[in-house]
Amino acid sequence: MPEISRRQFMLLSAKLAALLGVSTTALPAVARAVQTLASGQAPLLWLQGQSCSGCSVSLLNAVHPDPVAILTRYVSMQFHGTLSTATGELAMSVLNDNIRRGGYLLAVEGAVPAAMPEACVIGGEPFAQQLLRAAAAAEAIVTVGACACYGGIPAAENNPTGSQSVREYLQANGIAKPLIAIPGCPVHPDWLVGTLVQVLAFGVPELNADGAPKMFFDRLVHDQCPRFADYERENFAAHFSDRGCLFKLGCLGPVTHADCPTRLWNAGTNFCINAGAPCIGCSSKEFSRSMTLPFYRKSEQAQIKADKA
Amino acid sequence: MVEKIAIDPITRIEGHLAVHIEVDEGRVAGAFCKGEMFRGFETILKGRDPLDAQQITQRICGVCPVSHGMASVLAQEQAYGITPPQNGRLMRNLILGANYIQSHIIHFYHLAAVDFVDLAAIAQYTGKDADLLQFKNWVLAQKASSAVYPGAPFFPRYEGHYLNGTEANTIAIKNYLEGLRMRALAHQMAALFAGKLPHVASLVPGGVTEQVTAQKIAAYGAMLHDLRGFIDQCYLPDVLAVAAAFPDYFKLGKGCGSFLAYGGFLESDDGKDKFLPGGVVNAGKLSALDPGLITEDVRYSFYNSPSGLGPTAGRTEPDPRKQGAYTWLKAPRYQGQVMEVGPLARLLVLYLQGSNAEARRWVDHVVRQLNLKPEDLVSTMGRHAARAIECKLVADRCEHWLAQLKPGAPTCTEFAIPKQAQGQGLCEAPRGALGHWLEIADHKIGHYQCVVPTTWNCSPRDDQGRPGAVEQALIGTPIANAQHPLEAVRVVRSFDPCIACAVH
Repeated sequence: MPEISRRQFMLLSAKLAALLGVSTTALPAVARAVQTLASGQAPLLWLQGQSCSGCSVSLLNAVHPDPVAILTRYVSMQFHGTLSTATGELAMSVLNDNIRRGGYLLAVEGAVPAAMPEACVIGGEPFAQQLLRAAAAAEAIVTVGACACYGGIPAAENNPTGSQSVREYLQANGIAKPLIAIPGCPVHPDWLVGTLVQVLAFGVPELNADGAPKMFFDRLVHDQCPRFADYERENFAAHFSDRGCLFKLGCLGPVTHADCPTRLWNAGTNFCINAGAPCIGCSSKEFSRSMTLPFYRKSEQAQIKADKA
Repeated sequence: MVEKIAIDPITRIEGHLAVHIEVDEGRVAGAFCKGEMFRGFETILKGRDPLDAQQITQRICGVCPVSHGMASVLAQEQAYGITPPQNGRLMRNLILGANYIQSHIIHFYHLAAVDFVDLAAIAQYTGKDADLLQFKNWVLAQKASSAVYPGAPFFPRYEGHYLNGTEANTIAIKNYLEGLRMRALAHQMAALFAGKLPHVASLVPGGVTEQVTAQKIAAYGAMLHDLRGFIDQCYLPDVLAVAAAFPDYFKLGKGCGSFLAYGGFLESDDGKDKFLPGGVVNAGKLSALDPGLITEDVRYSFYNSPSGLGPTAGRTEPDPRKQGAYTWLKAPRYQGQVMEVGPLARLLVLYLQGSNAEARRWVDHVVRQLNLKPEDLVSTMGRHAARAIECKLVADRCEHWLAQLKPGAPTCTEFAIPKQAQGQGLCEAPRGALGHWLEIADHKIGHYQCVVPTTWNCSPRDDQGRPGAVEQALIGTPIANAQHPLEAVRVVRSFDPCIACAVH
């Protein structure tokens, strides 16, 4: 087993503490957690339902720890459709042998086509059925991203597959397991890695009413927004690319819980509102679901203008 | 005797693909591509605000969201009668270019090369590189561990002939590890103008919502410098090294031999001039593209909507238990013909069109260095070489686009959404030609159809029974061990399939 020096270990702990937003007084506890994880033996199965793989790609954007560290020092990623070398029947053996053994953490990306099981099939078996088998033998489940957590776009109004969130689908099928929702479209890698560390080391974190960890999804985007002063001064952007508060272009920051404004994306580079783009509420339970709540309010204005002309 | 093998699932691609092959006397005699996941984006879009489209359609695919966003804003801009200002056009090229780089790097190192590189060779590594030592120690520790599958997700794997020699393999493994950092860096570079990735925030009809600043130009330039270094020093040499070690794969996986590109990366604000031009290549001859000749058959697809319609009339009505159907992909055809799309198609168009001296120089260089005939590039290994050459051309061109940005100049054009309108958005995703067709009715989306790169490549048989591009490419592939059909998955992965895209 790779040894990790005390110095490396404290450095990593400090990074994780920052990642989790815990104070430095909690460092010894975080340090113990890292030591547990340092064995890299926590088995993880990653299943993909009706997904775009965007959350898997986002996980690869993790910085501290980076993907190699995650795969070799934090978890034993037994199966992941996009990363596993095993393919075909061999891949199914890996999946099925793990389900037989049980005792893993199950990560699910993507929604469940509850009314049309043929709309997602893996190894000849409907994903909906595979999910029930895998969930029944799991220690705990993390649903990764908008689709797995709340249904997302596959479950939006007019969807043809009767798509459901993992929680809805498992409940309907009588499977009760600890389940944590880590929403976002895609998930932020820190949210995922931070939650995994929390679960493996300390147990289930404190969750909000939608089942998402409060440490990431407690505060409104609006309340932490760098353009909050523009809102207070009623300095509103009227056109795309204008400076000022994006509220009148449809920004959903006032009703969306996430820490994007302080965490930022892609190694702290930027985030939607800093780039002049209204928040589209991708971490909300209602994200994308209704055609009567569009992402932008520009069309209303443009339409009124066009109809007048 | 014909032996049937179901390779299900095909991992290390995007999404849910199964390939069923029939092996006769050690060679593939028949192949069926089965796309196994459907969400119904085109139905979900109907009735929504047109401005939702570039956000919703990006979520078709987490690997190439930028391209879907781009196709959608191009279709909307045609409908609204606007074009972005220069800064908007250039930022789009820089965001898309960055995503090409990340997509091509991840495809080669993390998805496809694992079929050629011997990961087990790390156990023999005796050097001092920190990354490699750590990986070696982990692999050795895993062997002794109680994990159900020690060394997962890197092991187990198909047995077969992998790259020889500890040094060649450890270089490739080192760059697998480094490539993970590089692809994340490419996303970080895109996020400077995109807000975030995957799923870009700043892309809107009329341009890009982000501002151009000197600081952003400097940051993009610095990251691009590192990425170009990796492409020149690692990616291109590694592809050539793998290609030199597996020359057979310049003879395997040739496919349908007809190629289609819509063209991408606008070089002029009116959208007429493109860095990667569009065109159709048939029997080695280049001709102009006519999007009106695109149709989609559904005889073997899980839809009961009419077959043979063009995308402006196309419908998507699921019938998951349809008799005789075997996939969720439709079968797009150009003038009734099967087409391959992707980096190889684009490079052939660029080469035959003749205006890009760098492209010609690189193709000629690869052909000479590997002692090939130019037509050998139409093959499994040729696709990897074309992707790497394209990655270099695009990365180099990003430098040029970056230098043209003007801090403080407008990035967006204003627009109104008409009551009725139509728009067609054609562009190039990393995996190939991508088109969105939009109709606005009463200010809302009345009709939306996407024809996507992997829909072309992994297409099923059409109404005339002609197999799709990957199905054709598999024919004749030798299979040494039916339990471990390594050769077949090498052919399939060279197309960089993306099933979430292909079905949507």
